[in-house]
Amino acid sequence: MTTSDIGSTIDQYIIESEPYYQPLGNEIGFFEAAFAERLPMMLKGPTGCGKTRFIEYMAYRLKKPLITVSCHEDMTASDLVGRYLLDGDGTIWHDGPLTLAVRHGAICYLDEIVEARQDTTVVIHSLTDDRRVLPLEKRNELVTAHPDFEMVISYNPGYQSVLKDLKESTKQRFSALDFQYPDTSLEADIVAHESGVDIEVAVKLVNIAGRSRNLKGFGLDEGASTRTLIYAGKLVKRGLSLQDACQIALVLPITDDPQLRDSLSTAISACI
Amino acid sequence: MSAGYGDIVVSGYIECAPLIAEELGPEIAFDLVDSVSAVAAKTGKLEAAKFPKAALHAARKLPDQRAFRAWINLIERFAAIARESTLTLLENMEELLNDLSVSQLEAWIFAGIRLSGGDEEERLRFFSFENPESSRWLLFESESVGFSSMAPQLRSLLRALWNTSPPLREPTLSTNEKVKRRAGFGQGVIRIPTSFPGFQGEHATNLYRACIAHIGAHLTFSGDRFPVRKLKPIQVAVVSLIEDARVENLAIREMPGLRRLWLPLHVAQTPSALSPNHALMAPNLLARLARALIDPEFSDYDGWVKKAKLEFFSREADWEDPQISRELGGLLGNDLGQMRVGWQFDMNNYVVEPPYRDDNLGLWDFGDEEIPPDALDAEHTFSSVRIEEQLEDDITPPDTERQETEQDPDSSATPVKVEVQETQGMPVAHYPEFDYATGHERPDWTTLVEYAPLRGDAAEIELTVDQTIDTLNRVASLIKAAKVSRPTRARRLSEGEYLDLDACIEARINQRAGLTPDPRVYGQWVRQDRDLSVLVLLDISESTSDIVNNNSESVLDLEVKAATLLSHAMAGVGDPFALAAFCSNNREDVRYFRLKDFGRPFDRQAYSYLAGLQSGLSTRMGAAIRHAGVDLGNQETYRKLLLIVTDGEPSDLDIKDPRYLIEDTRRAVQSLTHQGIDVFCVGLGTEISSSLDVIFGAKNSLVIDRIERLPEKLPQLYLKMTG
Repeated sequence: MTTSDIGSTIDQYIIESEPYYQPLGNEIGFFEAAFAERLPMMLKGPTGCGKTRFIEYMAYRLKKPLITVSCHEDMTASDLVGRYLLDGDGTIWHDGPLTLAVRHGAICYLDEIVEARQDTTVVIHSLTDDRRVLPLEKRNELVTAHPDFEMVISYNPGYQSVLKDLKESTKQRFSALDFQYPDTSLEADIVAHESGVDIEVAVKLVNIAGRSRNLKGFGLDEGASTRTLIYAGKLVKRGLSLQDACQIALVLPITDDPQLRDSLSTAISACI
Repeated sequence: MSAGYGDIVVSGYIECAPLIAEELGPEIAFDLVDSVSAVAAKTGKLEAAKFPKAALHAARKLPDQRAFRAWINLIERFAAIARESTLTLLENMEELLNDLSVSQLEAWIFAGIRLSGGDEEERLRFFSFENPESSRWLLFESESVGFSSMAPQLRSLLRALWNTSPPLREPTLSTNEKVKRRAGFGQGVIRIPTSFPGFQGEHATNLYRACIAHIGAHLTFSGDRFPVRKLKPIQVAVVSLIEDARVENLAIREMPGLRRLWLPLHVAQTPSALSPNHALMAPNLLARLARALIDPEFSDYDGWVKKAKLEFFSREADWEDPQISRELGGLLGNDLGQMRVGWQFDMNNYVVEPPYRDDNLGLWDFGDEEIPPDALDAEHTFSSVRIEEQLEDDITPPDTERQETEQDPDSSATPVKVEVQETQGMPVAHYPEFDYATGHERPDWTTLVEYAPLRGDAAEIELTVDQTIDTLNRVASLIKAAKVSRPTRARRLSEGEYLDLDACIEARINQRAGLTPDPRVYGQWVRQDRDLSVLVLLDISESTSDIVNNNSESVLDLEVKAATLLSHAMAGVGDPFALAAFCSNNREDVRYFRLKDFGRPFDRQAYSYLAGLQSGLSTRMGAAIRHAGVDLGNQETYRKLLLIVTDGEPSDLDIKDPRYLIEDTRRAVQSLTHQGIDVFCVGLGTEISSSLDVIFGAKNSLVIDRIERLPEKLPQLYLKMTG
């Protein structure tokens, strides 16, 4: 059994160029403070509001590799920790993304952690308290976390059912940052920057998003996110009319109810 | 044909037949002879004489022979059912066919027949349009854009644009005609006209949208109500108009596209073509000013309109302040009052233009002495629908609300208090009903009224529990054994449906390492937990008081026993479940009793409600099923089961046609199935199995005649649930 030489592969997780990120408040300062103490962090907030972008930006800023794992309900602990694989004449151990981050001092970002089954998520427990170790039972090895290792999870409390929630013992291992959609002018700046449309169009898009966010809980589970606004902006940039772009980026994806679609379309044309 | 029917029938036919032949061909005209005879036989001479004339209208209005034959067939059926109304119907045929196709006409006719529930006088009132419901249904069936078709869309539009959701209401039938024509707001509700006559299709849709957008602007930007005090009527009208313009302009600042919604509805013109007299009438001047204040392109030569426009736009910086409407309107109204147009102004006949604007009564504080009649009306409507509104618009789940008002268990409840609760049912929802004759659901046809259940002696139920403890345990273990949940992957099994890759690799690795490999390398999808919520719905109609077979127990006793058994088992296992009972007294009063809600314990209170059930009234099952479906739909379990215990097929006093309610119930069951709710029916007694098969399907119903057989029948149900 040989451990493959993965040291060099960690480099691919380094973020080379600065991601665009527009701070909403003090979250950069908060995160840096937490990182200095290597406190595990939880990023909360609705979909498409910039959680993933924020962590990319922080990884760049702190010059640490970022390993992202999108959690799903079929994920097992070995998917995180690692497993033995067969090769031509033997077996080789393959580190999972979590082990990789632990060994090499990366930021491990578990996206949508509640999607993973609870028995899977408990493997992070020993890493997220003062022990900072990861036991690899199959290898009979106890990996002590690299001093730079940092655990970050994202958690969207809104749209999951009550059946899916984090265990209390998991929740209480984390400090949290709450993300919301940025305020109007900031969001317009972001949309304009990311999609390349004029600021006037971006302002209209944000205004439209406000209308659809009003419908949250009144037919919609979630209003249009900043991400969908950027998509709509990109379509406008490609020559679509604002109404058409909003229709295909903001209305059709989020609801199938014809009455609600009508209302949204009317509200959109009211904002243009 | 002349045999016995008299000359007028023959001459009626002779007059119209050639014209009908011209429209649709001679064979149609010949065939009509038989139909005239048929109608004459079912009704009388007068009707038969009128029939050819109506047929001629139909021949002209309807597109082809097929539609015409369908129409003939419809009239013959109608004559057989409602002979007293046939003449009236034929007389109105021309107008009816202006708005309706044959299938729509059929739907409207059956709405009338079902509505009057076999009462001839009532039926005649409907078909002669004396009953306001007939106009309402005509509007609905002709698919005109009206309140009922627009309401859901308007609700979400109001929420999207203005982030507010006051309940929307139609004016009541007793509201006076003037108030019915325009929207209004106040007392926490928004009143929207049933229809806007003269507007159709897209135009009507846009008018409704403009209307709700305008009222939303008021709710957002209009401040406290203006006191009327000593203002003259013309001043009130002008202040209102300025306020309309102010809130609209503020709204346009935020959402410029609203101008495109509102502007096309402003049709007031500078009166070159109008007679000078008309041009100077106050309503005309006001409509022009309304347009001038929202349409920058519009110019008017009238000095007063010009001045008003100039003043209004010069105050743009102050628009945020509602007082400028009062101030500016007061001045301008005063100006108008100096002119002849002002003192000729007739407030009572003044209707706000353009039609999307509300009547502005919501803007004014009339003080104590003068409350406009429709405001009271609105309040009245509101108080009667408050419960319904909670269900619609409140985010708080109804369960928690109810729990708070729930009384303490029986010991502490005084009889007087209970009395008050018992007698008052709360109308909580309207449900549609399916008419197989037309193949459509008629919206809001039934009213579901929730009653607080009566309390009985909880000890009776405790006794049942004690007596049947054996059976009970068996039921409980059966239920416990049934796995009802989403399948999950089971890994590392010695046999299974597929290879578990992880286990395979591990086995191979062990082999290579010289260790004994684990042979459990298979995986399988299995259901491991129970994730099921159940609502048990008991039929407590009059027939459940019958004594079963040779037993001394009534059907209701059996139902209560079965419900107790099942509930006890479910409570023991920990499944979320609810218990309810229903009966009905016509479509306006489908009674629903909540014996135990989801999330409440199955305790002495539920016992006493169960023991307090009494047989009475009829079985309108569809509405009760739909209501139970709403409750179940809110449960977040993987499987949802509605278990109905009944002793007979659906029936109600106003329904003469036995098939009607069976078909409606079938439809209700289907719509629940669509929502992922399984509906299962347990029939008590032996005679009802055939109709249960029709309603629920053979697999989803079973008939039990002795309570001892419940435990052995239950596995069938649970097997089905897990299959």
